Amino acid sequence: MCGAERADHASLDIVVTGLGAVTAYGWGVESLWSGLRGGTGAIARFERFDATRHRTRLAAEVPTSPEEGRFARRASFADRFAVASAREALAMAGLPGAPAGPSTGIFFGSSTGGMLESERFYERFLRDPRRRARPGLLASQQLNGPGDAVAREIAAEGPSETVSSACASGAMAIGAALRALRRREVDVALAGGSDALCQLTYAGFNALRSVDDRPSRPFRADRAGLSLGEGAGVLVLETRAHAARRGARVLATLAGEAATCDAYHMTTPQPEGQGAAAAMRLALEDAGVEPAEVDFVNAHGTGTPLNDAAEAAALHAVFGDRALTIPVTSTKASIGHLLGSAGAVEALVTVLCLLRREVHPMPSAGEPDAGLALDLVLGRPRRLQRAVCALSTNLAFGGANAALVFRRAEAA
Amino acid sequence: MTRRAVVTGWGAVGPHGSGADALARAFAEGKPLARAIDRSEGFHDDAGSRLAASVGNTDLAAWLPPAQARRLGKPSRWAVAASRIALEEAGIRDLSGRRVAVFLATAFGAVLFTEKLVRQLLDEGPEAAQPFYFSECVANAAAGQVAIALGAYGANVTVTQREAGPLIALAQGAHEIVEGRADVAVVGSADEMTPLLHAILDRYRATCRGEEESPRPFDRDRDGMLAGEGATMLVLERESDAIRRGGRPLARIAAAASGFDPTATMSDWGDGSAGLGRRLSVMLERAGSIDAVVSGASGTRRGDRLEALVLRTAWGSEPLPPVLVPKAVVGEYAGGVLSGSILALAGAAFGPVTGFRTRDPELLIEPYDGSPRPRPERIVASSLAAGGAAAWAVLERA
Repeated sequence: MCGAERADHASLDIVVTGLGAVTAYGWGVESLWSGLRGGTGAIARFERFDATRHRTRLAAEVPTSPEEGRFARRASFADRFAVASAREALAMAGLPGAPAGPSTGIFFGSSTGGMLESERFYERFLRDPRRRARPGLLASQQLNGPGDAVAREIAAEGPSETVSSACASGAMAIGAALRALRRREVDVALAGGSDALCQLTYAGFNALRSVDDRPSRPFRADRAGLSLGEGAGVLVLETRAHAARRGARVLATLAGEAATCDAYHMTTPQPEGQGAAAAMRLALEDAGVEPAEVDFVNAHGTGTPLNDAAEAAALHAVFGDRALTIPVTSTKASIGHLLGSAGAVEALVTVLCLLRREVHPMPSAGEPDAGLALDLVLGRPRRLQRAVCALSTNLAFGGANAALVFRRAEAA
Repeated sequence: MTRRAVVTGWGAVGPHGSGADALARAFAEGKPLARAIDRSEGFHDDAGSRLAASVGNTDLAAWLPPAQARRLGKPSRWAVAASRIALEEAGIRDLSGRRVAVFLATAFGAVLFTEKLVRQLLDEGPEAAQPFYFSECVANAAAGQVAIALGAYGANVTVTQREAGPLIALAQGAHEIVEGRADVAVVGSADEMTPLLHAILDRYRATCRGEEESPRPFDRDRDGMLAGEGATMLVLERESDAIRRGGRPLARIAAAASGFDPTATMSDWGDGSAGLGRRLSVMLERAGSIDAVVSGASGTRRGDRLEALVLRTAWGSEPLPPVLVPKAVVGEYAGGVLSGSILALAGAAFGPVTGFRTRDPELLIEPYDGSPRPRPERIVASSLAAGGAAAWAVLERA
């Protein structure tokens, strides 16, 4: 059975008991799931700032906040996404909010934090340094902002650790939470990520010519780049014993994690996907899972020619012939590339797929790239006869790679 | 046998240059390593701070060929150079066949390139955005460049938890070694200070002013930190591996902990000394007697206050050991705590802090006065971040 031989992990099973998300489909996990199932992407014309002078004008933008009050008025978008996701995840887990105290840790990923608000600060400051721009705008630039905002919101006094390893940040943060729980440093961890689109990111990816002027089409023959997105995802993680003691419903087991580096190039993945394959193998090993036991893959799948080719090569290296038939999806095809929170939201979606025994589809546009030889889930959800183990992968700038393995709750 | 992580090499690039001896001399003198900051763009307040602990024209060609250096932001250059210095110090010339992880902390990343890109966008529009600035302004640029330079294929993690980041990175690197996921971990921090960031910090009164512009950690009249920059990188290995290959362990990582003060605002320190102090106490109970504290105090009013109250809570009625304050010399860049910790364990002299004059009646802590003291067996490094995060590590002689 999946992971049964990992006796040393048996007493340290780390389970998922709550999920929360903010994405372009809306504020909440159910809006995300129904949007993904629908197979119609949320990538559309971007409106928050003027994108008319960029090569592309598309992004998966989070709709207007339903929240009100001082926090909503003062906090950065990234902080608000994070706190809303954390509140939803805690409610699903049946955990109270504040005070969470010293046994709760916060592990977050972010690649730009509140850079959007900082850009406003810079604009005002550079125009006239003698007029005081609101310092809160600059303070929100800190990449630790979203995680710390969650810690502050629930009065968590355990570790608060932020990872900023570009597009692998969210997955690495979940990995850090898993390790902290295994070491019994905390009883409960809120792990996730949050990023809001800013001009720097939008211009940067356009300058690199990494974005498609149509919604991204991961693993398709005519793919031409990624689509940017924004949002947050939070998972409540705890030891199985802790969850059992308080009678919590277990959604899934976070069975394994790993991180590696290509050490190859800052923005180009190693072409054979060697680093990504190593991360997948190590995560499966950490989980005590054989490649043959994996039922589907939620791939990084950005839609850039180089990423998808390298990732497909990695999947073939790890799964061998099974790579031809294992269902592969990419959440980014529907909600865009969430950068520092991509790994968190995709992990959360992987849990939902296991829980509901189906793999969400990518929008159907574009013929699969036959050269990549993958079984893509396109257009409509794929019902799974066996939904026990799943792999979620992320590849990032700087060559950083991360992989997470989840098991269905009753399969543990 | 219990696996333990030890430091076998360290390197630092900072206002002192790049040599350990120069840094040790600076700590012995206790004077801040300050240079004039460029104020020519008119960002600064006329009455504001004029100094920063900046990295000068340090020759790093032995560690990073100039042609390569030109393609990197300053934090990446310094981190690569410091990593190579650390590996040489560790006596490791070939990393092939070893699983090498990188854990690097940064508060703001490659600030200069970020500023350049933002200014291009604001002044010239998105068409002017240069891809090179973007790829080097991501927070994990330095960690990625270190991995490329060293051929480090293990975990590559960038920690962004402001002042607490370096000790969190140290702890994560140590866990990576102890738990068997890596054979070598290169851990540390890198940050740069630009004239624009300096001006902004100064306008919001984060930096020290006055005639001397000398940081005054724990002083009654402290008025801010000396902004600093640089990189400090440590090489970690399993103690058994280091001994087997004939390496010379400099320090053993005996314990580490981190926590959060929810009373802190986004940009300031809070009042949660009781909670943080309890967390530190729990760690110290497991660690054994402490001979010195290497404090992250930098001269800020609320940061130093919280640091002092946390230490006093943890020690209770017991007298505090000597409190060393490396940021009084190298300024506020968090790698100073790492360098100070390694030098303190090596028995380096720490001179009296020149800026300290008057004891604060609330804090009741004085920085170490420079009098002769025995070489410490075990120290605790402490770093509390604005925004609420806190991290500590106990290092002992190996």
